[in-house]
Amino acid sequence: MIDYLASHPPGLTHWLMLTTVLFSIGLYGLMSRRNAIGVLMAVELMLNSAALNFVIFNHLLWPGGVDGLTMSLFIIAVAAAEVVVGMAIFVAIYRSRGTVDVNKMDSLNG
Amino acid sequence: MTADAAYTVVFYALAAVVVALALVVVNARHLLRAAVSLMGVLAASAGLYVMLAAEFIAGVQVLVYVGGIVVVIVFAITLTSSTDLLEDNPSLRRKVLGGASSIGFMVLTIAALAVMPVPPQAAAKPTADTVGAIGAKLLDPGPRGYVLAFEVISLLLLAAIIGGIVIARRNAPPARAPFGRSAPVGQAGATQEAQRP
Repeated sequence: MIDYLASHPPGLTHWLMLTTVLFSIGLYGLMSRRNAIGVLMAVELMLNSAALNFVIFNHLLWPGGVDGLTMSLFIIAVAAAEVVVGMAIFVAIYRSRGTVDVNKMDSLNG
Repeated sequence: MTADAAYTVVFYALAAVVVALALVVVNARHLLRAAVSLMGVLAASAGLYVMLAAEFIAGVQVLVYVGGIVVVIVFAITLTSSTDLLEDNPSLRRKVLGGASSIGFMVLTIAALAVMPVPPQAAAKPTADTVGAIGAKLLDPGPRGYVLAFEVISLLLLAAIIGGIVIARRNAPPARAPFGRSAPVGQAGATQEAQRP
């Protein structure tokens, strides 16, 4: 048992399949959620899986460099900025319209 | 030997936890429950970062995502909560549409991954001083450095801070000069022209 586990470490394909599943779950949430905050949480899932992908490629294909780690740092920073502005917009919309249902945010839908 | 086996076991355990909690994030009817599950997903992802020898990214993940972003999301949920919003119950059509597209994406990508020729694992030694290397890379003005992106990110974060404050502020102060809205635009311009000697 231990021999089998030790001789089958997770390879690149296994890691990438994990992030693919995470990204697909985020995509499902993005398309099915009605609440805008739920949509934003699904986007966070997708961003997290993308950042994980960068670190996976960095670790498994080019362990001498740190470019993948730098990219995932940038992704985390952009995600933080996006969440701050998105939440501010949702709170403002809730104050003026009384809802954050994405079906009802159609003022720009001429 | 035992360490390698433990690595494999921990990988599959963390993967199962991440996928199960991510399903809760997108399916929970109570958004607060979804937010707590999102925190679990991000913390388990920090564990995956540690497994990938990226301890610094794991720390940043815990600090920024778990400590910051999830807190902001919980605040937003409580600030916008109402009876019809706390329960997020998507229609069947949206569920089917989202499920079909996400499962289609997943099947296509996993099929592509399965037939992908696996590149050989790099034999290079991992950098020992990862944090120092990342810092040097971020501030390197050379052709392989990221100093421009670093500065742009700092500007972006500043703009996000100011934008968040301005957008979410409860009462905007009354504008001192009403930008000529008291009179029609053409008329205001005409009077100004007339008063000019």
